[in-house]
Amino acid sequence: MTDVQTAPAPGSAKPKRRINLGFDKYSGLYVWAVLIIIFSLWIPDLFLQVSTLKQVLIFQAIAAIVALGLIIPVAAGAFDLTVAGTLTVSVCFTAWALLNHRGVVFAAGGALLIGIIVGLANAFVVVKLKVDSFIGTLGMSSILIAVAYMITDSSQIVLSTEGYAPFFEFAREEILGLPRSVYYAAAIAALFWWILEYTPGGRYLYAVGGNPVASRLAGVRVGRIITLSFVASAVTSAFAGIVYLSTIGTATPDSGSGYLLPAFSAVFLGATQIRPGRVNVLGTLVAIFLLATGVTGLQLAGAPSYVTELFNGAALIIAVALAARTARRRA
Amino acid sequence: MTTALTVRSATKIFGAQVALDDVSIDVEPGEVRALVGQNGCGKSTLIKILAGFHIPEPGTAASIAGRDLDFGDPVASEAVGLRFVHQDLGLVANLDAVDNLALGQGYITNPTKTIRWRKERAAAREALAALGYDINVRVPVATLQMSERTAVAIARAMSDRGSPVTMLILDEPTANLPNAEAQRLYQLVRRVADSGVAVLFVSHHFDEVFEMADSVTVLRDGKHIVTRPVEGLTEDELIELVVGRKLEEHNKDSADAREHDEEVLVAKEIAGASVLGMDLTLHRGEVVGVAGITGSGRESVAGLIFGGMERGGVITVNGQELPENRPDISVDRGVALVPAERHANASLIDQTLRENITLVDPGRHMTMGILRRRPERADVRIWLDKLTVKPGGQTEYTMAQLSGGNQQKVIVARWLRQEPKVLILDEPTQGVDVGAKADIHRMVDEAAAQGTSVLVCSTDHEELVRVCDRVVIMRRGRVAEVLRGGEITVDNITAATIGRDAHDSTEPAA
Repeated sequence: MTDVQTAPAPGSAKPKRRINLGFDKYSGLYVWAVLIIIFSLWIPDLFLQVSTLKQVLIFQAIAAIVALGLIIPVAAGAFDLTVAGTLTVSVCFTAWALLNHRGVVFAAGGALLIGIIVGLANAFVVVKLKVDSFIGTLGMSSILIAVAYMITDSSQIVLSTEGYAPFFEFAREEILGLPRSVYYAAAIAALFWWILEYTPGGRYLYAVGGNPVASRLAGVRVGRIITLSFVASAVTSAFAGIVYLSTIGTATPDSGSGYLLPAFSAVFLGATQIRPGRVNVLGTLVAIFLLATGVTGLQLAGAPSYVTELFNGAALIIAVALAARTARRRA
Repeated sequence: MTTALTVRSATKIFGAQVALDDVSIDVEPGEVRALVGQNGCGKSTLIKILAGFHIPEPGTAASIAGRDLDFGDPVASEAVGLRFVHQDLGLVANLDAVDNLALGQGYITNPTKTIRWRKERAAAREALAALGYDINVRVPVATLQMSERTAVAIARAMSDRGSPVTMLILDEPTANLPNAEAQRLYQLVRRVADSGVAVLFVSHHFDEVFEMADSVTVLRDGKHIVTRPVEGLTEDELIELVVGRKLEEHNKDSADAREHDEEVLVAKEIAGASVLGMDLTLHRGEVVGVAGITGSGRESVAGLIFGGMERGGVITVNGQELPENRPDISVDRGVALVPAERHANASLIDQTLRENITLVDPGRHMTMGILRRRPERADVRIWLDKLTVKPGGQTEYTMAQLSGGNQQKVIVARWLRQEPKVLILDEPTQGVDVGAKADIHRMVDEAAAQGTSVLVCSTDHEELVRVCDRVVIMRRGRVAEVLRGGEITVDNITAATIGRDAHDSTEPAA
């Protein structure tokens, strides 16, 4: 009460000018650079190799495809926990079809069709039955694992390199020194980036994710958008399954189990990057390669194998916590 | 017997506004007192002072059964025996009555801290039985009837929490109740009063004043106007006390038809939510208002006409039917809705003004499969300027960076950009400052001048007077009256919204 200050006239208040190095949007790129520098100094002869770069790209191509697919429903505010299960069923079905000499087209086409069916089933559970997406897709993913066991008869299917050469070419053939799987990931990234950033569909996805009630009252067909988003992620996961089989050559009912958490980590870590507060394609790619660089570097430096999970988990929590802090400060 | 509640010289000033001006009242034990007045008359300020949410100006004194009340402390208010039931009841919908009652006072436990459910249930049944209710205490309260839920809330308020209950204070107790259930509640309140507890209730519903109250206190502009027994009071006298003037008789025949003769939207037998049956016609370039107290149906009209919810009846726009529950079709046919409660129903709070405004047709600036940001920004900037959204021209600001009034302007801009045939506004200036309000009203005038039919549902009667050619008054789910031309005054609208249904003649809406 003693200290009365004249309030600045509205509009005249100047925002504090700060040099913006983009730590809020591009912190991932900075951390990535720091990691590369650390490992380059620490283990130069192991880390600074073209083969290391290649290894990171190849290992991450499948994880990237799964994560990219997951972006779509998450943008629309729906969780899709079936991404790994769909990948598994796709891997098992494709392997089973090839083993039974049904031909590559039948195998791959069938796998993609499975993707469409899983997506529609998810949408039915979430949109029509109004089950929470987290719970609904959790249930569906368990069903998918059962399907994978049925297809493989609870064992593993190994495709011999000689017998299925044309199929292995699908992901392994090298173009400019990189296998095709890397190009598939890049193409899917470009496609989803275009959809999310430059088409009305992308706007609708983010609008539904932002406020489904408001979107509905603005004439957006919320149910249809969510349905399409589930189909998109499931088909993408099914495609990832084909790439997986073509890369690895072996199908088991737990082929996909390792892809669920990394995909979610990448998408949520990605939401803190490039376009903070929003899941996005470029941020997800940064997240994937940031995590992969860290893990690969640590492994090359002789860390035990469990460092992968440790690093992924810690990085996710730290990044999202930091992002929450920046968001609070901005508000 | 000591007086249950004594308030002396209650005064409360907010900034430059005197919300409550030297108000003194007394309520006796066993008395049911209604507290009435227009919005902003000071009713809720008085209640909030008693509840300990506001600290009144020095000089204010209150005592409950002879014990002085310390202001500004909800715990102290409860300790002296005041109990409050708010309009939303404050129940946890998915818990049963036993849990809801226990939440206020703690569970009955045995020495190992295990809840003694049997005893707890018996206590709940007993508390409700004391109010004349025999309900299943083991189902979620959401599944109970509204009056039963109110009973649970009152039972909780009345429960002994270490201090005897001297006074029960209810906020709009029957606002959401259908008539038959309201009758049950009247009996409940009577039982409470007969047990010697004083009851004070805030009300807009004159039905409940006449049915339930022994006496009534009228506040106007923060001042105490009168306290008198309800007996011998007529409805017209009460309305006059509330509004402060004698009301001129409505002269419905003098209504000028204006030049609105081209029908755009025709709604027949609309029913759904709190609307029981309503006909409505909107003409080209006409601005029609909908007024009514909460529970009258007013709050559902916008959503029902727009097609955002389930409803019965037939609505056509230029001859094309609007199906229920299909906002997308309504939008395609040229109907726009600026819904109430912007945050929940309209804003994409973390997204840019550009994305908020172009949400309805984001593809307008798409060439060769790519959304072009530059023309989109230019387009959006025009609309931000038209509605004088501040700060100006910031298409990339997020909604969260704007004030409430400016957010609302953005939502209005979203729809004006579509050049709708029918624009429906639900509480368009709720929580909006005076300047933004004037801008929004100006845009309504302009839209109407260009031939848009506008429907404004509002509890702000000055707003209706400002923009409307015709005002439809809702009572108990139906159109009760229609005001036109010179009849549209704040007093007339207020009087019509709180009129009693017994006086209704069944008038068709225009």
